[in-house]
Amino acid sequence: MKNPPVPPHRPSRIRYVSPRFQGPAVLAFAAIIATGGLIFWKLVDSAFQRVFLHASIRGHYAFDSAYDIVRDLLAWHLAGLFVGVFLTGSVLTLLLVAATRHGIGNAVDSLRRSVDGDLSTPTGTGSIGEFDRFGKKIDAARSDTLASVLKIRGEAAALAAGGISPEEFRLRWDELKHRIRRVAP
Amino acid sequence: MSGPEAASDVPLIHRRYVFGLLFRLCVNFAGGVGILFVILYFALSRPLPGDYAGIFHALRTLSPFFRAILSVSVLLYALLACGSTSALCVYILHKVAGPLYRMELILDQYRSGAHTRTVSFRHDDQLQPLAQAFNLWIRTLHRDRHQWLATMMDAERHCLQDEATCRAEMEEALRKVAEGMARYR
Repeated sequence: MKNPPVPPHRPSRIRYVSPRFQGPAVLAFAAIIATGGLIFWKLVDSAFQRVFLHASIRGHYAFDSAYDIVRDLLAWHLAGLFVGVFLTGSVLTLLLVAATRHGIGNAVDSLRRSVDGDLSTPTGTGSIGEFDRFGKKIDAARSDTLASVLKIRGEAAALAAGGISPEEFRLRWDELKHRIRRVAP
Repeated sequence: MSGPEAASDVPLIHRRYVFGLLFRLCVNFAGGVGILFVILYFALSRPLPGDYAGIFHALRTLSPFFRAILSVSVLLYALLACGSTSALCVYILHKVAGPLYRMELILDQYRSGAHTRTVSFRHDDQLQPLAQAFNLWIRTLHRDRHQWLATMMDAERHCLQDEATCRAEMEEALRKVAEGMARYR
């Protein structure tokens, strides 16, 4: 009898979409586009009403279509819409990049300080929601490590001070080794 | 270069990535405005009636008609631009959001006491210094842990000799471990 085929090993799928980070950026860009569209609509609508009325009472109709009347006006407003939305979007992009560089830069600095043993100075990633949360996670990991190390250090110092029976000393020695093994397992 | 990135050669966010994002936004917004232009062009370029009275009447009644056309076309522009910009944001920003999400998972694993591995991002991901700093910290913790355990196990070897020597060596080892941990603050 043949054994059932073993399903192939699938590497765990990495999720690269984080609504917490990308969501606000998408909403901000959508707000810029919607605002630009609204301003464009308002300006062009009032201009069309004025221009068509003016063209009708002028009496000299040297055009074939309504497009001939509003060609320049439409071109300028479309150019204005593009420039306005693109410039505002660019400013938003640069602000996002600056906030990321500041927030994550502080997190990187904090991890580099941790290499030198400083596990207590707060990361200070800033007040922007996602980076603040990320900084707190790093701080929590560093804080747990520091608490663990300080506890082991206190226990080691207490054991080294002497005055403990050989049996108890051995028990606590083994327990201490076990605790050390659990530091960054 | 100054600020948090000064300590590393690799920038947190590459300039090329930022320019690429701005260029794609530019193309995206230009496409949106282009579609808006095409809609308005076809709506406005319909020929006006041939006679004088017909043109006069058409120009007087065009405004309400174009208001509806304009509203629909601007709405269509906003929906298309928002949709494509959202897709662009998700596609481009996942190179920043992905590493953050991955780091959060690793930090959660670390805090839960699971085996901590070094973290690596995809080659085109941003925030590479974050992974480097975290890996350096974890490697330092692993090295220190091995050193403390080695000191203790070295002392245990003296237990093959008499009890007093064993205890003295163990206490000395504990003092060394406590001293080694003193750099963590």
